Amino acid sequence: MSLFFQLVVSGLTTGAIYAALALALVLIFRATNVVNFGQGEMATFSAYVAWQLTQWGAPLWLAVLASLIVAFSIGIVTFRLIIRPMMSAPVEAVVVITLGILVLFQAACMWIWGAEQLSFPSLFPDGGFDIGGVRVLSSAIGTLTILLVIALAMGFIFRFTRLGLSMRAAAFDHARSVLVGVNVERMLMLGWGFAAVIGVLAAILIAPRLFLSPTMMTPILFYGLAAATLGGWDSPLGAIVGGLAVGVAESLGASYLSFIGADMRIAVPIALTLVILLVKPVGLFGSYKVTKL
Amino acid sequence: MNDDGFRAAAIKFGLFAIVAILIPIFAPGYALQRVAIAIAYAIAILGLNLLMGFAGQICLAQGTLFGVGAYVTAILNATYGISPLVTLPASAAVAAVIGLVIGLPALRLQGLQLAIVTFGIAAAFPQLLLKMGSLTGGVSGLPIEAPEAPRFLSDSPELWLYIISLTCTGVAALLVSLMLFGDNGRSLRAQRDNPQIAQALGINLTRTRLWAFAASSALAGLGGGVFGIISGFISPESFLAILSINIVIGSIVGGATSIVGAFLGGLFMVFVPTWASDINLSLGNLIYGLALILIMMIARNGVTGFIEKWLSMTFRRMASSRRQIETREELI
Amino acid sequence: MTLDLKKLSVFYGKTQALFDCSFSVGEGEFVALLGSNGAGKTTLLRAVSGLLPFKGSVAFSGKALDKIVAQKRLALGIAHIPQGRGTFSEFTVDENLSLGATIVSNRSQVREDKERWYETFPRLRERRNQLAGNLSGGEQQMLAVARALMSRPKLLMCDEPSLGLAPSITQEILAIFKTLNKDHGMTLLVVEQNVDITLQYADRAFVIEAGQIVASGAANELIGNEDIKKSYLGVA
Repeated sequence: MSLFFQLVVSGLTTGAIYAALALALVLIFRATNVVNFGQGEMATFSAYVAWQLTQWGAPLWLAVLASLIVAFSIGIVTFRLIIRPMMSAPVEAVVVITLGILVLFQAACMWIWGAEQLSFPSLFPDGGFDIGGVRVLSSAIGTLTILLVIALAMGFIFRFTRLGLSMRAAAFDHARSVLVGVNVERMLMLGWGFAAVIGVLAAILIAPRLFLSPTMMTPILFYGLAAATLGGWDSPLGAIVGGLAVGVAESLGASYLSFIGADMRIAVPIALTLVILLVKPVGLFGSYKVTKL
Repeated sequence: MNDDGFRAAAIKFGLFAIVAILIPIFAPGYALQRVAIAIAYAIAILGLNLLMGFAGQICLAQGTLFGVGAYVTAILNATYGISPLVTLPASAAVAAVIGLVIGLPALRLQGLQLAIVTFGIAAAFPQLLLKMGSLTGGVSGLPIEAPEAPRFLSDSPELWLYIISLTCTGVAALLVSLMLFGDNGRSLRAQRDNPQIAQALGINLTRTRLWAFAASSALAGLGGGVFGIISGFISPESFLAILSINIVIGSIVGGATSIVGAFLGGLFMVFVPTWASDINLSLGNLIYGLALILIMMIARNGVTGFIEKWLSMTFRRMASSRRQIETREELI
Repeated sequence: MTLDLKKLSVFYGKTQALFDCSFSVGEGEFVALLGSNGAGKTTLLRAVSGLLPFKGSVAFSGKALDKIVAQKRLALGIAHIPQGRGTFSEFTVDENLSLGATIVSNRSQVREDKERWYETFPRLRERRNQLAGNLSGGEQQMLAVARALMSRPKLLMCDEPSLGLAPSITQEILAIFKTLNKDHGMTLLVVEQNVDITLQYADRAFVIEAGQIVASGAANELIGNEDIKKSYLGVA
């Protein structure tokens, strides 16, 4: 039984990583109706900035704060230079653009900092607790806590504040939002800015474990997408639950399903995604949309 | 096709033929092989154009089906000694079957959802290849022998490979354009633009979509087989998830509804990253990413869309007295 | 608070959709803009709302609108209910009203106004937490009106309120407009295809055909004018 719990805990720990990326993806989708395939790489770049600052002697908290500001600016600039001119473009063009963003930021990291894996300081103390014979890392608990706080804050802002309402409206329909006086561009810009901030927080939470490198986020892109799909693209809390569920399912599946084993572990989240899409497409915490003809 | 359309197609085909003949004259051997590879990718892109551009389904697993085709060719050739060219129909067929298997659940999925699931499949494929090591040769991959060249080409193996890939693509392009004219093409576009109305008009959505998946996958498989033959050797490294992404990029940059665009996309896939690295090794990918973004911003319907728009503006000014209605989906 | 259009022309690319349209809507008037399908009614409203570029001049209370961005129209007091109602279908009824009050900074005013319109439209109160897209056509029209009124506009422009609605509901909506006009002094510009019902409520009307204003007059005169109705409005 303790193997089971160990696997669950280990799954929750990796799941927290997926949840972090999923949260950033969900935010940008909710705020701007775009799935930004390059979200992870943008975040990695800003995380590198934080790392660089610590290398130059800055204390961690200052470096993190600075990277939040940098990320916000990068989000806004990316929106204004690249996304805004493409707002009326067909969906496939926007998809390619976000893929271009993926390539661009990954290459920028590679160019400036090289390809080796770097160690990134953790926000949390090392070590952990023994609960029921299973080791739980402080960093895992800390990561989940921060993610939960962010998700709750996001959810609150979107559901209960005027700003959140305007942002959701701007993402829903530009023309109608203009008619009620919503400054659509500013809302989208803020959306990209905030999503970039969440993204860099996710990267900073992930980097200590995965090691900072230009391709840090690339292998987990699919997991983040799967987590967001599972939880519901319009639910920040769902992104977290989705991420944890994907992590646990993958961990259990890899051990208990011998025909999958460790090397085909990705098959579990694929199957999970397929199931949720066929059974409840809006996701576990997603809300049903009105079907219009 | 009306007369003007036919003339336009003939002109395009003529230009294309001229370019196709000129390339081997001016390109050195190694470059020619890479052009042949670009053409193999182009076959896969052609399939994706059918699926994405015409049927409107976003598929991020075209690289997987490409890989399936390559491995079928490799396995039949290396393990069973079957002549490489003969394996190609099998590659296409197996890929088509797998494409159908993917297409079945895809019927219930919409755009983004389909993209995510197919992306997962693309990510899982290399692992699957490794797991089935006894069949696929695992990490070490499989060799593929080149089909025997006719005597007059025996000192230019690259030219021979180039001709093979060109022929295969030509056949593929011809088949695709035939498929797109008339009812099938109309059904495809109808169900992309407005599925509910298409269904009300009696178009069998399921059959149309599944057919699009099968055709697209067959093309990807064919392309993969050709790729295998030209490369002489394949391994899981060549078929990572990023390949599917690059194929999508190639498709859209070239022009998602254009047959010529598929070729441009293939060339883009093979040459632009290398050109970028040649300019500056470490900046290589950076330039590739920038080039990608810039191209999409300037030519949001892809390069062919941009050229067509430019051409039509020029011709409209030149021949303002003759009114021509140009459809957005020019095929060849 | 008058709306003045002088020689308003709109082009969609090379095609001209409006040709030198000129008219005025005076403060407190209930004016109808009538025309058949494709006559240019929606284009005209969209130009006034800043959603389309135009030539000529559009002025509200003497202020030229051509330099002002679309989303600032509401701040000037011009509310536009678009064709099809512009409902935020995946938001609740209450959220739709809140969206209508986006530019209102006074929270208590927003609360008051919501109460007021829930009083006036009890069916909306019943459904306040339901998704707006699930409401019937008539209810969505009421929601659109209430939403527009949340910003306390001085000029309310409505594009084809009768679209997709049964005649009885159309009467209800137009009666509400009439009340707003008579009791609250709201200036109204209503664009419609449904001539007979609209002329019963409006003060004045303009007729637009193929992008041009072809007739105008007091509503009670136009009601009796069979020629105009036949030539331009497709009414037998």
